[in-house]
Order: sequence, then structure tokens, then C-alpha cells
Amino acid sequence: MKRIYKFLTILSVLMLLINISCTKDFDSINNDPTQITDEQLTADFQYIGAKFQPVFESIIITNPAWKYQLQQNLNADVFSGYMTNPRPFIAGANNTTYNLVPGWNNFIWTIPYKNIMNNVAYIEKQATEDGFPVFVGIAKILKVEAMHRISDVFGPIVYTHYGESVTTSEYDSQQEAYYAFFDDLDTAQDLISNNISDGYFTNFDMVYEGNLEKWMKFANSLRLRLAIRIAMADPVKAQTEAQKALTNSYGLIENNAENFIIHGNKSHPLATICNAWDDIRMNASIESYMRGYNDPRIYKYFSLVKEGDTDTQPVVPGTFKGIRNGLPLLPNYADELAQKADYVNFAVLNKSVMTSDLQLMTAAEVWFLRAEAALRGWDSGDPQTYYETGITSSFEYRGVPGAAAYIADNTSTPMDYVDPVNASNSINALSNVTIAWDNAASDEVKLEKIITQKWIAMFPQGEEAWAEFRRTGYPKIFPVVSNQSGGTIDTNIQIRRIPFVVSEYDTNPDGVQDAITKLGGPDTGGTRLWWDTGSNF
Amino acid sequence: MKLIKLFSIVFFSLFMGYQLVAQEKVVTGTVTADGDPLPGVSVVIKNTQKGVSTDFNGKYEIKASPDDVLVFSYVGMKPVEIKVGNQTQIDVAMEETAQALKKVIVTALGIKKQRKSLTYAAQDVKADELQRVKQTNPINSLAGKISGLTIERNASGAGGSVKVLLRGNKSLRNNQPLYVIDGVPLANPTSYIPVSTFGDKSGGNRDGGDALSLINPDDIESISVLKGASASALYGSAGLNGVILITTKKGRKGGFTASASSSYTVDSPAYFMAFSDEAQKNVDSFFQKGQTNINSVSLSGGTQAAQTYFSYSNTNAKGIIPTNDLSQHTFNLRETAQLLNNKLQINGSVMFSKQKINNRPVSALYFNPLIGVYNYDASQGPLSKWKEFEVFDPSRNLMKQQWFRATSDIEQNPYWILHRNPTLDNNQKWLLNLGATYKFNEHFGVKIRGSFDKNTMDYTRKIYATSNGTLSHKNGRYILANFDNTQWYGDLSAMYDTKFGEDISFSAILGTSMTHNLTDTFYADSGNTGGLQYANVFAIQNFNASADVSINEHHLQKKVSSVYFSSTVGYKDQLYLDVTARNDWSSALPAESRSYFYPSVGLTGILNKMFEFNENISFAKVRASYAEVGNDVPANFLYPNRNIFFGAGVDPQTPVRPLKVPRPERQKSVEFGTEWHFLDDRYGIDIGYYNTNTVDQYFIVDASAAGTSGGRVGVNSGDIQNKGWEISAFAEPFRNDNFKWHTQLNYAANHNEVLNLSNESDGVEIPYYTISPGGVNSYASYLVEGGSYGDIYGQVVKRDDAGHPIVDLSSGVAIQKDDNADITIAGLEKVGNANPDFMLGWNNSFDYKNFTFDFLIDGRFGGVTMSMTEAVVEGMSDNSAREQSGNIDVVDLNGNVTQLSNKVYYSAAGGRNGFTGEYVYDATNIRLAEMSVSYKFNLNKFGIKRAKVSLIGNNLMFFYKKAPHDPNVTGSIGNTLQGVDVFNLPSTRSLGLNLNLNF
Repeated sequence: MKRIYKFLTILSVLMLLINISCTKDFDSINNDPTQITDEQLTADFQYIGAKFQPVFESIIITNPAWKYQLQQNLNADVFSGYMTNPRPFIAGANNTTYNLVPGWNNFIWTIPYKNIMNNVAYIEKQATEDGFPVFVGIAKILKVEAMHRISDVFGPIVYTHYGESVTTSEYDSQQEAYYAFFDDLDTAQDLISNNISDGYFTNFDMVYEGNLEKWMKFANSLRLRLAIRIAMADPVKAQTEAQKALTNSYGLIENNAENFIIHGNKSHPLATICNAWDDIRMNASIESYMRGYNDPRIYKYFSLVKEGDTDTQPVVPGTFKGIRNGLPLLPNYADELAQKADYVNFAVLNKSVMTSDLQLMTAAEVWFLRAEAALRGWDSGDPQTYYETGITSSFEYRGVPGAAAYIADNTSTPMDYVDPVNASNSINALSNVTIAWDNAASDEVKLEKIITQKWIAMFPQGEEAWAEFRRTGYPKIFPVVSNQSGGTIDTNIQIRRIPFVVSEYDTNPDGVQDAITKLGGPDTGGTRLWWDTGSNF
Repeated sequence: MKLIKLFSIVFFSLFMGYQLVAQEKVVTGTVTADGDPLPGVSVVIKNTQKGVSTDFNGKYEIKASPDDVLVFSYVGMKPVEIKVGNQTQIDVAMEETAQALKKVIVTALGIKKQRKSLTYAAQDVKADELQRVKQTNPINSLAGKISGLTIERNASGAGGSVKVLLRGNKSLRNNQPLYVIDGVPLANPTSYIPVSTFGDKSGGNRDGGDALSLINPDDIESISVLKGASASALYGSAGLNGVILITTKKGRKGGFTASASSSYTVDSPAYFMAFSDEAQKNVDSFFQKGQTNINSVSLSGGTQAAQTYFSYSNTNAKGIIPTNDLSQHTFNLRETAQLLNNKLQINGSVMFSKQKINNRPVSALYFNPLIGVYNYDASQGPLSKWKEFEVFDPSRNLMKQQWFRATSDIEQNPYWILHRNPTLDNNQKWLLNLGATYKFNEHFGVKIRGSFDKNTMDYTRKIYATSNGTLSHKNGRYILANFDNTQWYGDLSAMYDTKFGEDISFSAILGTSMTHNLTDTFYADSGNTGGLQYANVFAIQNFNASADVSINEHHLQKKVSSVYFSSTVGYKDQLYLDVTARNDWSSALPAESRSYFYPSVGLTGILNKMFEFNENISFAKVRASYAEVGNDVPANFLYPNRNIFFGAGVDPQTPVRPLKVPRPERQKSVEFGTEWHFLDDRYGIDIGYYNTNTVDQYFIVDASAAGTSGGRVGVNSGDIQNKGWEISAFAEPFRNDNFKWHTQLNYAANHNEVLNLSNESDGVEIPYYTISPGGVNSYASYLVEGGSYGDIYGQVVKRDDAGHPIVDLSSGVAIQKDDNADITIAGLEKVGNANPDFMLGWNNSFDYKNFTFDFLIDGRFGGVTMSMTEAVVEGMSDNSAREQSGNIDVVDLNGNVTQLSNKVYYSAAGGRNGFTGEYVYDATNIRLAEMSVSYKFNLNKFGIKRAKVSLIGNNLMFFYKKAPHDPNVTGSIGNTLQGVDVFNLPSTRSLGLNLNLNF
């Protein structure tokens, strides 16, 4: 008996020893060695620099394509009159018919917060601590570029209070957010201009190859865009900020070599959505304008056949044909696919607008912004010169000749739209505005020309085009065929915003209630944003 | 030497003298059971100490006088008493006692316990019952035979994995039980679990396989199921969901036996949704008869000191979908030895299994040929004409896909999918076991054991150029996934067994174990945008050098070390107290909470020994136990770092982190039960009740995306309760020499409730937890407080008071969505729960002379199941039977009742994102699960000890079923996709022939 107890004691001690020695490596094995830590990224300043790529690639999310489809394509790209879907998703009850789909629109909100705000916050903190002011400055500019788009969709957003909580957040009103954008641009421009020769950002610059002067130009141009946006909501602030932008010594984006284009290494999500999925086509509105104006850029924007698809005949051979947006599941089709089959051969997007380049601001847009600034008397320059430079710049950028003749065209107007498959969708053009500048015209007409030409030039930047359409009412985009908003969105006034997203309602209910107060109206697609005043002068 | 001689003379004369006095003679004979010789049977002369035991051929020799009565006894067999009389040869055929009465059961850590002493519910199934209607995955054969065990087969045909649930869903991550082979935990990894009803764009919702399908059913001797956590506290966290113990065959002492068996079954697709006649013709033309052929041989033999068991089996199966086939080879070698006067026992085994599956069927919408088959427009001619699935494309100088309409992401030519999107699964398993037990004396011994368990699961899909653009690059696409899981296990334990005085018995085990699990994965996918350089060449070096291709590897490991203690104190063979305790240290938890302790205690009383009962009551016991089990989390789960993407930098998202230092999860369960046998054990019933609370699980929950967590955090939270009743009853209403009827009924009812989700202290609201995300489809499964695991959410039609659907007829047919639900999550409301209210299995066996007739009726009562298949078919085509005629009353927005044709209404209601509430069915079903007729031939003169031929049938018919599909089939063996059929492979009806030979 004694021997056994002794043996048991020895065995127990042995077992405990084995266990204690076994747990020694427990901390080091509980990881995946293929994943990366900040310590591993010290070389080449990657611990900060590597965080820029996701920021660049999420303003317009490049991968996977379906995220872009929900982030921008099935909302702003359609609402802007640029594109629309040949297939009436969810039996026609979807965003495009104002039956807003919460599951889709959630991505508009979550992508920038999950992919941009977190990384920018990290860069701002770490680069400030470690003394890399240019990293901080660039991060702030990118943050403004990314987040004004989000505010322009929802109104109030989480911006100045970001970082205060792990699991919830307080919203800013849109005015607070815009003021913060201007402040962030101030800080960013100070940090960059004071360190204009620092080179450590070059490796991570997906836009300007490290040319910080161009970043200063972009910051000025972005400031001008934001200032113009609030022209009617806050005229004093707008004029101050616009003039700050116009007078900054680094100047604005003036030529196409300075365009703010993210040079990605992934294929454009629109290529997948348009060619592989056949889920997006030309919109009737842009057909009406570009064909009405005999705009030669149409050959660079659209195509009669899909890339690599040689035996698909367009529905109207030799013509660029768009689709009315907001089509329901029409009663003459058995299902979505049958309807899609009739519309799938309408004009596709041209591969030249679907390269791995992501266009966010061109010189043309900036010239049109300056034209409006001049029209409003904030700039001493001549609005006509700026307007015509804008058109020329756009033709140049697209590699299309004939700008001079186009500028001089004072007769062409948008043409009536004809749906060759379902005649009931045909609609007369809503505007008769011409291309050529007319000094005698009213400011309203001049503004319509500026915004209409800016709209054509900015293609395919649906987000910015939709924002400017809402602010100014131009161009005259066709209303939806079917309005399934349940009365919350007026068919003719069209959709003004996207409601706060379902994931915020679930996880941040107090924040959303406060945001609705700050919105100043019901949380529907019909409520106007702060800068959306409904008048232009 | 002289002394010995003298001694023997004296001894011999004494012995002879005794014999003369008692007129003893030599009696010989053979003891058999079920036709096999039975070694080790004790043959004792009644009321004496005199006895012998049978040798390896079942033979015995004993001297006895004519007045003596020989008592033959063997564990698990009914004792036989025979008066010697004038016989000199007495052959005995022993019979097993009734199923539930087997006296010894293998429990945790391979400890054999007296069944009557168990303080918790356990049930076992013999090899015969498992092999009666043999299936490629032997676990399938447990359906209906164990109360409280739910089995759902993966809809992936032969070799498919199985979802096993004991006493309900408890965990957010894994609810499968632990499998233990010969005392050692088995690694049962799956390489893939599908999540969404849409399907995985990276190759479809496939079956990631499991280790069980790689085991030879003929190697199994018995399976014991320990249902609750108290039964498994000794296995630690892995035993949280119950334990299934598999005992395999080993070599027999002496002689040599061989056996061979062969089974051949024909599987016909059955149980479709109701198609129109034309559509059904096309569907029928697509499917074929499946065939499953399982052959195995085994050799067994050895000496008193060392025994060998060897087996080989191969399986060849042809699926019901053309081009789907499986081939499998399994080898098993087991050596057992008893050395040093039986003080040292050594056990070693090697198992190797190799399985190859072409075109394993997928479920859900991507890469599923059934979409094209079910939605094909019959007016375009017979479907079979599309067997010419490709046509030469001169513009590309290659063969391109053709189909009656433009392909879509979810619909391609089904024959194209089979031939030009083919998959190959290659799975292998190595299992090496080594163990030694040394007994110092009858009280004390030590045992050491180790195992090496390696599973590799390799998968490829080759997608040819001109496959649909959502799924493929224009040059095609290649997906390759390698999964490699290795588990090292070792334990060392000391066992002590003694008696204090006459009345008290005591046995205890103290041990330590270590498990080291490593998972290595490799995945390469050229994607639909990255693509291949040259069309239709499937190799990684043919990938475009693009950020749009995915290539990644991952390496994870986890170590858990444990110290455990278990003891049983018995009083007068009528009262037993079990106490166990275990402490685990897991590498997956942070140092602060790495170590966790959990105990269990159980008590059982044998009432018929404690009290005097009516003689009709042959056995009665009550049991009660309480157990806690702690649990860790998967490796690298709590504090992961960022992933790097091939050619595309680091992951933009912040990894999910715990909000506070995570705690180990905990499960607390209590169970009570009672077992009664009557009339000489011919009738019996076992009733059990349990209540299990799983608390403090590590949830990854949604937070505001605008918080710094980036939208997800981990918290310990929640309380999921499962409680229920299990009843198992058996009877042998007839038993005589020629005829025997054994019948068994298993009943189980589990009630699951999510008592709470959020811990207030965390400040994180968890309004719901997503089990299956809805995505863009109208099926989802969520946990909400007060709800149950398995709640199904769908989109529901708004109805007026009379129940008419409300439809906006102003432009087209716009069915209105219900807005009255208590809870709506992401636009979907609860439409029911996938889990049954109760399960019933009725197992019957009739023996008449050489015939045996068995059948099993399996019933599942309550619960619902959604047919997204039917929804999609009605949305995408007019192929359903009800769309052909008939009308439905609806009301318009003004409340006017009007009629719509079924075709118009269901076309509008259908679709994957349509009104799935219209496609929810009662999941209740009662089926003839197994049936077999066997005949035993007497072929002794050919040297065949036993020959048995059986006609077998599986899943033969439903006595009751409302759903269009078989609700016992699942699209996922994980927690996801329960209670929904999304173009799952239709369940089959199998008929076949089984041949068993023993030499």
C-alpha cells in the first residue's frame, strides 16, 4: 500500500511537471505565422505605409466587384443617370425603383469605416508619434475625399467623434462634418507644405508618385468642390473656403497630368459587373444628352458590344441605346431573367472607362468648379473661359478630337428617349439646353450648362454626379418608371439620400436617433441634406 | 524430480479416487454465439468451484457426473444451465441478453464499466445493427437507434459527411460530438463548411468531408454513445457535445478466422418537389441509378500472447448524378499482445484510408447542375439534347458552352458543369495508435497511450473557358485547396481498484494528457478577374500575375494539456458515486484565463438490490448527475494579426479582437434517469431528463462599423439552454427456439431556448446573432433572446384578416410584405424552427430459424423546413406542378378580392430573394429508414463457418412527409443552412444485397 501511495505521489508530481513544461510555448504557438504584425513591417516604413493601400482601394472599392456594386453602382451610378441595370432585381423592388434595399445599402456605410477610417486613424496616430508629418497630411486628405462622399449619401456621419468608442459612435451633423473637412484640409496642407521635400511617402503613393505639390493642388481642388457644394447652405463659409482654395500658392488641378486618379493593380469592378455579370448598362438619360449633342466622347464611354464578345448584336445596330432607370418587373415578362434578356444587349460601358485606374477628380471638373465660382462672383475670372477649358480638357483626357466644334454647337439639345423593346418607357427630353456658352443667358441657364457639361465630363463618377444633380437639379435626369418608395420619395424631385443603414440601427441605435435629429427630417430617401437647399441662387 | 513424481502419483490417485466416488466422466462440447465459436466462456459445475473455460475454438472439456448441472456464462450473454445426464457431448448456443442489458460498457478513456453503475445516459449499438444496412459513412447507420441523437446526411452523395447532434444545439461554433476510437480521441476535421444559400462562388457549397466516412464499417465492433457532458467530462472540452465511442475489432486468441463481406446497393433518386409532367421527364432523364459496392475482407488470429487483426475494404460508388463517382480503400492492422504473465498488455494499430471522389455534388446556387435541370424550359425540346454542351467557336478556336438561354451566375448548361467545371476530392487518413498497460498487481496499474492522426483533404475544380462570367475568367479558372490536419495525442494514467471490506468498492484514475493539433491549408484560385494566361490549362503557374488571383497558406496549431481524475465508489453493488475532475490548459486562450477546472458528480442506485420488488421486476435503477465542462476557442481566434493578400497588400480591416480578456466558455448540465426491466429482462424502459446551459460563449458580434472595432468585437456572453426527455424502451414479446421478436423504441424531445445573449456588463447590445446570414437571399437563421437555435427567417407575405395575400396590382404583380412581425431582422421574419419537437425511432428484429427480418421506422415530428429549391424554380421557370393550373384568391390594395392564376402568383412570390414564407413546410416525416431480410446458410462442409445473405433497403419510403424534399438531408454539417433545401441532391432510395462469409 505504502509503495503505491509513494508511486502515486511521484506520478502526480511528474504529470504536473509535464503539464507545466508543456504550456511554456503556448503564447508563441497561438498565431498564424502567415499573418503580419506591425513589428514585421518596420522595414521601409511599411508599418505605416502599408495602411495606405487599403485606403486608396476602398474609396471606390475595387475588390470584390459585388461590394462596389452595392457601395456605388446600384445607387449613385444609377441615380446619376449614367448607368442602369438591365435586370429588375428582386422582381423590380430594389433601390432603382426606390424600394431601398437595406442589405445592399449597408455597404455604402461599412466599407469606408472598416477599410478607411480605421487605417487613417492608425496612420494619424502612429505617424504623428513617430514624426512623419506627410503621412499624416496625406491620410487626412484621403479621409476628406472618402468621407465627404459618405456624408453626401447619408447627411450626418460619424467623423469628429470617430475613435471615442470601440463599439458605438456619435454622429456629426452634415454641417459639422463639412466644417471638419475644411479643418482637416487646413491641417493637411500645413503639414505637407511645411515638409514639401520629404520623400518617404513616394513608395505608397498610388496617385502622384510622391509629388507632394500635386497633392497640394488636389487638396485645393477638393476644397473648392466642397465649398461649391455648400454654396447655398452656408454662402459665407462657402465663399471663404472657395477663395482659400483659389488663392493657395500651389494652385489647382489644371491639366490632365494632375488628375486625381488612383492607379490600382486590380481590374475595375465595373468591368466585372458590366462584362462578366451583364448587370449594368447605359442609362437612358446619358443617351439622351450625348446622342442629342452628337458628343464624340460617347465612343469612349460606351460600346456596342462587350469586350471579347463578337457575335452579340446590339438591339439597335449601330446605335448607343440606354435603358430607363427604375424599371419594375414589367408585366409582359415572366421573370427577371426574361426581362434582362431583352435589355442585356443595350449599350455596355467602354473598356477605356473600366481600366485599373479609378478616376476621382479630373482637371475638367475643376475647371467647371471654377466656372461656377466665377459665375457666383467668387473668382475674378471669366466663367465662359473656364467652361470651355473644361470641355477642351475633357476631350483631351478622353483622347477625342473635335472639342472646338462641340463648344460652338448652339443648336443641339438632348434628344427624346425611345425604348425599342417596351414603347411605354419612351420619354421626351426634359431639357433643351444647348452646349455653346451664351453670355446673355440667365445665371440659371449658365449653371445648367456648367453642370450638364461637368456631368458628361465626370463619367463614370456616379457619386459626385448624383450629389451635384441633387444640389443643382442638373442635368435633367429622367424620373424613375416605377416608384415603389411608398410615398417617401417624390418621383419628380427624385431620391435625395439613402437612409441610415440597418447595421447602425442594430448596433448604434442611440447614435442613429441623434443623427435623425441632426438630419432634420424623417430617415427616408426623400429628406433633403443640409447642402440640398432646392435653389441655386 | 523424485519429489515431483511422488507428488503427481499422490495427486493422481486422489483425483482418480474422487472420480471413482462421483462416477465422473469427461464431457466435451463447443460453445457458440450467433454461429461463431465463443472463447473464454466459463463452464462451471453448479454449486461447486469446479470449472473450465472454452478455448479459442469455443471448445471445452470438463469432468462431471451425470447429476451435475453445467452453468455456461459469459459477459453479455444469457447464462445457460444444462444437466449432464448421460450426455458426453454438450454443445451450447449462447444468446445475447437483451440489447440494453449488456453488462459492460466502454466509457470515457476506454474504461470498461458495469452498465448498471453508470450515473448518466449511455446507449450502444452492436456491429450487427450497424452493418445490417451498410452505408459508406458508418455513422449514418446510427439514425433512429439511439434516443436523443439526430443525424442529418450531407446532400453530397456517397462518402458524404454527417451532422450528428446529441441533445440539441449548444455551441455557436461546433455542435458535433467527439468521436473516440479505442479510447483515443479521433480528429474529425472538415475542410470546409458552407455558409450561404447563394453558394460559394469559389467552387460552390461543397462537402468538406469528415474523417468518419474514411472508416471501414466492418472494422467496428460496437458503438457507445455517451449523450451528456457528465459522460464526457473526462475527455475535456471536446466532449462537450457528447461522445461517440467506437470500439474496433481486434485479433482473437488462437486459431485463425477470416471473413469476407460484400454489399451492393442501387440508389434511385426519390423525393423531388412536384414538377409538371414535362419538367419531371427532363429531371428524370438527367439522373441515373446510383450504385454502391462495398467489399471487405478481414483476417484474425494469434496466440495466447499476441494477436493480429487485419482488414481491407474497398468502396466503389457511382452517384445519381452522371460523372459523380467514389472509390475508397481502407487498410487496418491491429496487434495486441499480453506479456509478462498478462501483466503487460500492448496494443498497436495502423489504419490507412484513401478516398477519391469525382464531381461530388454541391448544394445551393453556384456550380449546381440541378439549377439548369429544374429550370429548363421543356418547350425547347428534351433536356438530353443539351448533352451536346459545347460547340466550336471559330472566333476563339475553342469549344464554347451552349445552352437554351444566356447562362447566368447560377444557371449554366448542367452537362457543361459536369464535364467542364469538374471537381476532384482526394482524401486520406492515417491513424496510428500505440498503448501499453502494466498491472503491478490486481489493484494497481499504469497505462500509457499515444496516437498520430492525420487527415488530408485535397480539392480541385477546373473551370473551362466560356463558363459563366461571374464564375470564370474568359480563359477559365482553376481552384485548388489543400487541407492537412494532424493530431498528436498522448496520455498517461494510473489506475487503482480495490475493495474496502465486503461492501465498498473503489476505483480511481489519475492521469494527464496532451493534445497537439496542427492545421495547414493551402489555397489557390485564379478567380474570375485575375484569370489564367492560357485557356483551359489548369496549373498555378498559368495564373495571371495579378492582384485579382488568390494564393494563400495558413498554419494553425493548438495544444491542450490536461490533468484529470475520476473515481467510482460502490456500496454493496447497489449504490455508486462517481466523481470526476479535470483541469485544462489551452494555448488558444490568453495566459490570464488559460487554465480552467471543471468537475462532475453522479449517483446511481440499483433499486432492486436495495428493496424487495415483485419478481416481475428484474432490474431497477435511478441515476442523477451534474457536470460542468469548460471550453476554449479555436487557435488564433482571439488575437489574430492581419492577413496579407496575394499582390494586394494587407487586409484593410482591423482584425476582430475581444472587448475584454476572454474567459473560457462553460457548460453546466444536470440529468436524471431511471431504468427498469421486467419479466426476466424481456421488457425494459429507460427514461431520462436533462437540462444543459451553455454560458459565457465567445461571441463575435456586430458593433457599429463607425466604432474603432471596425464593426465586430468578441465578448463572452449568452446562455443557451437545452432541456429534454429521452426514453428508450425494448421488448421481446416472443422468444422461443424458433422465433424471436425484438423491438425497441427510442424517443427524444429537446427544447432549446436562448435565455439571453448580452452581458450587461460589456455594454454591448447583441440584438441577434447570425448563424446563417441572409445575404441577398430570403433565408437566414438568427439567435435572438427568447428564440431558439435553428429559428428560420424568411420573407413573409402580408395578408388580410381572411388570410388572402395582399397584392398591389397597379403595375404588374407586387406582393406586399408583412409588416406585423414581432421581430424583423434585415427584412426577414421568423417562419419557424428547423429542429424537431421530438424524434421517434422504432427498431424491430424478427428471427425465425435461419431467417432474420429487420426494419427501422424513423420519425421526426415538428419543426419546419424551407424549400428554396421550389421558390427558385417557380421564380425562374414555370416548371412546378401547381403553376400549370388553378387560381389563388388575393386582395388588391383597396381590399377587393380578385383571382390570380397560380402561375402568376407563384412566379411573383418565388425566387431566391422572394417570399420564402410561402415555401415553408412542416418538417414532420416518418420513414421506413431501413429494412433487411437475411438468411443464414449452413455451409460448414465447405469450410465456411457462417454464411449470410441479406436483401437490404435504405430510406425506402415515407409514411408521412409534407415537405417537397427529404428533411433529413442537410446542405451543411456545420451550424449553418439548417432547415433549408437549396437544390440539394435529392435523397435516394436504396435497395441491395449483402453477403457475409466467415471462415
